[in-house]
Amino acid sequence: MARREAAGRAVLYATCMPVLLFLLLPSLVIVPMALTKGQMIQFPPIWISVHSFTDYIEDPQWFRSTVLSFEVAALAVAIGCITGSAAALALHDRRFPGKGLVTGAIMAPIVVPLVVLALGGYMVFAWLHLIGGWIAIGLLHGMLVTPYVFISVQTSLVAALNPLLVRSARSLGAGRMSVLRHVIWPAIRPGVLAGALLGFAVSFDEVVIALFLQGPNAVTLPVRMFTAIQFELTPKVAASASLFLLLSVLVLLAQAAVLRRREAA
Amino acid sequence: MNVALPIVATASLGEARHYLSVEHVWKSYTSGVHVVRDVSFTLAPGEFLTLLGPSGSGKTSTLMMVAGFEAPTRGAIRVDGRDVAQLPPERRNFGVVFQGYALFPHMSVLDNVAFPLRMKGLGGAARRRAAMEMLDKVGLADFATRRPRALSGGQQQRVALARALVFEPDALLLDEPLGALDRKLRESLQIEIKELQRRLGVSILFVTHDQDEAMMMSDRIAVMQDGEIAQLGAPEEVYLHPETPFVAGFLGDTNLLRGQCIAQPGGHAVVRFADGVIGPARLSRGGRRPGIGDAVLVSIRPERIGLLQPDAAADCVVEGVVADRVFLGRHTRLEVAALGRMLIVSAAVQPSADVVPGATVRLGWSGEDAQILNESDGQTPIRHGRA
Repeated sequence: MARREAAGRAVLYATCMPVLLFLLLPSLVIVPMALTKGQMIQFPPIWISVHSFTDYIEDPQWFRSTVLSFEVAALAVAIGCITGSAAALALHDRRFPGKGLVTGAIMAPIVVPLVVLALGGYMVFAWLHLIGGWIAIGLLHGMLVTPYVFISVQTSLVAALNPLLVRSARSLGAGRMSVLRHVIWPAIRPGVLAGALLGFAVSFDEVVIALFLQGPNAVTLPVRMFTAIQFELTPKVAASASLFLLLSVLVLLAQAAVLRRREAA
Repeated sequence: MNVALPIVATASLGEARHYLSVEHVWKSYTSGVHVVRDVSFTLAPGEFLTLLGPSGSGKTSTLMMVAGFEAPTRGAIRVDGRDVAQLPPERRNFGVVFQGYALFPHMSVLDNVAFPLRMKGLGGAARRRAAMEMLDKVGLADFATRRPRALSGGQQQRVALARALVFEPDALLLDEPLGALDRKLRESLQIEIKELQRRLGVSILFVTHDQDEAMMMSDRIAVMQDGEIAQLGAPEEVYLHPETPFVAGFLGDTNLLRGQCIAQPGGHAVVRFADGVIGPARLSRGGRRPGIGDAVLVSIRPERIGLLQPDAAADCVVEGVVADRVFLGRHTRLEVAALGRMLIVSAAVQPSADVVPGATVRLGWSGEDAQILNESDGQTPIRHGRA
């Protein structure tokens, strides 16, 4: 029995490890490549130097793009949190004809191909003379973030908001705003936070919309990398990709912390 | 109705005591369904009134309309004569306790109890002091800093009560608050709520489907069926003198006997049952009176039927053959074939050893315990608060 179990485990490892390795390899390759001594991005890298990181930070264009990406993501998350939470609250516990359609419209940015959104956004913002600024990218990203916050707030509403809590609060003298502040907000806070983190990650590395709406003063970090890999081949690309990796690990950790707190609450 | 009158009289002496009255309230949906039909009752200061009924009888809908979570289609809900039916729940002054207590999970026990005072704009120190006093009254002062989740079901229940009482509401509305608890705990909390109510003098409108709970706690019970009040009265009145087959059956086991009204001397009826057995019976207070010769349905509670000694007499005496005998601890249940049917007899005193299946016994009951029911149950039900 024990031997069969051991054999089974060996087969399990033998099949799963290569798959896991395959999934992680592209990510793991980036960091060593950023640590190259060479002036070109290359594989295998020539070890070992941190000059690509210092070059990346000291290059004003790359620095500007990094800040811009943060600005775009911040605007997108702010918009997404407000619209996504408001939509989830409005639709919660309500039945009306066409609710499915409304939900579908909110979820559309996840399903509709990015090129379609990007092209549509390009046309509208061109007409509004907003092309070439980070605000246009942030606005469109806000639309992209909305469904993520929506889903995550919806989940916490279902999980943590007992409708009787709202009724209780009202019978205890709480008006609608007080209910929102004292009952609903504590229940959805983890959901808003989780949605915001996910939305940040979505906006920060979104490239299609950012590419369509870019301008000389509105080049997000992913777009800068995409251009650099075509023309410059500098290891700064790998350095910034490492930054992405670090950020996504941080987002994952933060999300895990939020989830753990939600469970503990 | 007149049962409440003495309590009303004490209330008129003044103080900050309030009178809740629900007047001809309907709740109808556009689909034509009437969840609540023409319900009227009053809750006197300090009174414990229970809406008792099966699920779907409209008891919770009625309570929700009083609390303000649902709007009545017609009718008035008054506190001291002032119609509150149009006010949102937060502007009425009722303490509501739901099944599951609905304590705020992210607040401490003390903050939960202080919440209604905070909503009323009371300062931090004052509301904490008042909340602490209230927690002390329900015996939970030591748990003030805990989170609700850290308390047992019974303790959470008491926190919910403290929170609903701390702002001195006009009445306490309880929606099956003990439904989620096991029997032992439920019984001890029933006593506790009752005691708290007596001590604080608060009026309580209570909703339950549990007839024992209703009987134990209430000053008056409104038995609800299909959105209407089928009967409203003191527990012993609705139990011993039910007016409809539904009320008779819902409040416990009963024997329903068919018969014919053959005379009505002096305010009661004389009924001829099967086999020519004749006995007196009480006429129902509400509803239509049966005429001479009309068929009637009579309810007799199993514990009101006695096993008679050979020489003993009773208002009505029948002979029967024991079909079954079951010892149930507090009483012994007999099934006796008599009057062409099976009579259930519940004997508090252990019947003698010769009362076994096959034995012939004499059964008897008093005319006071034979209650004529209003058979129009369901079609043209009796209206209370009007007749």
